[in-house]
Amino acid sequence: MTWGLPHGFAEQPAGMRDVYPEQARVRRDTESRLLEFFENHGYQMVSSGAFEYVETLLRGRRAEEADDWMRWFDINGRMVALRPDMTPSIARMAAPLIANGQPEVRWCYAEKVFRRSTAPASLSWASGKAAESTQVGVEWIGPPAGAADVDIIALCQHAMGLFELEDWQMVVSHAQLTETLLAAQGLADDVRERIMDCLLRGDYVGVRQAHVDQAAGDHMLSRFARLTPLRPDSIESLLDPLGVSAAADVEDHSQRLRAMQFARTLWAELTDFAKMLQARGLTHHLSFDFTLTRNLPYYTGIVFEVFVPGVGAPVALGGRYDQLLARFGAPAPAVGFTFEVERLLAALTDGRWLGAETGGKETER
Amino acid sequence: MITVAFAKGRTMEGVLPLWQRAALPVPTDLDESRALVFEEPSDTYGTVRFLLAKPADVPTYVSFGVADIGVVGKDVLYENPRDVYELLDLQAAACKLCVAGPPAEREKRPRRVATKYPRLADQYFRSQGESVELVGLSGSIELAAVIGLADRIFDLVQTGATLAANGLVVFDEVLDVSARLIANRSSYRLKKAAIDRITSGLKTALEGGWKA
Repeated sequence: MTWGLPHGFAEQPAGMRDVYPEQARVRRDTESRLLEFFENHGYQMVSSGAFEYVETLLRGRRAEEADDWMRWFDINGRMVALRPDMTPSIARMAAPLIANGQPEVRWCYAEKVFRRSTAPASLSWASGKAAESTQVGVEWIGPPAGAADVDIIALCQHAMGLFELEDWQMVVSHAQLTETLLAAQGLADDVRERIMDCLLRGDYVGVRQAHVDQAAGDHMLSRFARLTPLRPDSIESLLDPLGVSAAADVEDHSQRLRAMQFARTLWAELTDFAKMLQARGLTHHLSFDFTLTRNLPYYTGIVFEVFVPGVGAPVALGGRYDQLLARFGAPAPAVGFTFEVERLLAALTDGRWLGAETGGKETER
Repeated sequence: MITVAFAKGRTMEGVLPLWQRAALPVPTDLDESRALVFEEPSDTYGTVRFLLAKPADVPTYVSFGVADIGVVGKDVLYENPRDVYELLDLQAAACKLCVAGPPAEREKRPRRVATKYPRLADQYFRSQGESVELVGLSGSIELAAVIGLADRIFDLVQTGATLAANGLVVFDEVLDVSARLIANRSSYRLKKAAIDRITSGLKTALEGGWKA
C-alpha cells in the first residue's frame, strides 16, 4: 500500500488543530461541567467578542506582551488583537457596573483565547503556549483579599474534584512577596530584575549565577524553598536584621528596612490566609512556593497554579488583581482563575481525547 | 518511580561519574546493551528509570512529562527553549560554543556560517552587527569550513582536537556550556520530595570538589 501524495486538500495554519466527532463532544462536555459548577456557585455566564483593541488588552500589562498576540489593524486603522485571555474583556465589561455602584460582579465564561505560536498544536496544548485554547474561568470583582481568596481557592479545588484525578497539586505564591524579599536581602535593582526573570523561566541555575556569589544564591534559594505561611516563623531567616547593618550606603539601608517592613505586612496577611485554608481543609493538595512568579504586572496578591501528571503546564491558574479595574475607570479589588480545558483533557485521558479511543476514525463510517 | 532522560554520548559520559558519586543508581550493562530504557532499584532514591535519548530530544521528553527529569547540555536548552525547570548546573561535560574557521578568514567579514544552532548563531551574529547567511547542518560541521561551503562554523568545541585536525582555529568563544539537570514543571510539583533528594544528592557530590 502506498500513499499517493494527495492533491487539492487544504492546509491549515500552524498551531490550529481540528477536533473530530466525539472528541469535540468530550471537550464540550468538560466545558459544560465546569460552567455548570461555576453557575451553581453564583457565577453568571458572560461572553464577549473575540478581539479587542490592543490598548484595552495592554492596560496593566507590559507593552512587550503584545508581541505574543495575533494583531492587525481594523477598518479605522486602530490596532486590534485576538484576546490572549478573558480578564481584560471582563474588566472592561464590569467597570461601568462597578462605577455605577454595583458592589460586586461574579461572572464565569467559556471562551477561546489566542496567542502567536509556532509550535504544532498537539505539543502546545499539553505543554506550552497554544495558538488557540479553551479557557473556562471565573472572575469575582469587589471583595478585598482575605476570605474571598480562600473561597476562590476552594472553588478551584472543588472544581478539580469534579474530575477523577488522583494526583494533583495546587501551588500558591504571592505576586509581591518574592521581589520584596529580594529587596530585603539588599540586592541591587538590576540583580533583582535578573533573578525575577530567571524565576519566571524556571531557571534556578540562572538565579544562583545572578548572585555575586553562587553560594549565597544557593543559600537564598534553599531558604525560599522552606518558606511557607503554614509555619509563620519560616520567614525569619529571610529577614535577618543583623544582615542589614552591613549595608554601607545609608539610603540603601533604609530601602532595605522598608522592604523588610512591607514583607512583614504581606506575611501577616499570608499567614492569616494559610490559617483559613487549614481551617477549611484546603491544604491537602496545596503547597506554597514563592519562587513561582507570574509575568503579569496587574497581579497584586496571591497567585496560584494547578499541576497534574503528564501535562507540563498548569491546568488551572489564577490570582488576585486589585489594580486592574482602576485602569478601566472603576477602582475595585478582584480575584479569579481559569481552567485550560485542552490541558485538563490531556491529563484526564492521557492525551487520548484526540486519539482513536475517544472517537476518531474507527467511529466514522 | 522517577524517570530520567539522559542525553546520550558526551553529556552522559561526562555526568555519569558525578551521578555515581551521588550514589544514584546507574544502568549496569550500559556498554553491552543496545536497550534504550533501563530500570535500576535504589535504596535512597527508589526505582530510577533511564531513557537514553538524542540530546536535542531530551527537553522534548521532559516537557511532555514522559521523563520527570533530564540531563542535557545547556547548548540544547539555548537553542530550543522549552517550559522546563533548570534545576542544577552539573558542571560536567563542559565545553564552549565557538566561532571557528580557516586562519585565512580571520580578518575577513563573515559571510556564510555553518551550524547546528541556527537560532543561537543568528542571535550572536546580529549582536555583532554582522549579517550572515546561515547553513543548517546536523553533524560534522567542520567539514563545511574545510570544503568551502562556509567561511565560518558556529559549533561546540570541547578539546579543539577536531578543529586542529581540520586546520581550523577558534575566532571567538561565545558561550560556556555544561550539563544541566532539568525537570518537567508538573513532575517538579508532584514528585517534589524525590526530585529534591536527587538534586541535593548531586549538589553534595558537586561540592565535594569533583570537576570534569
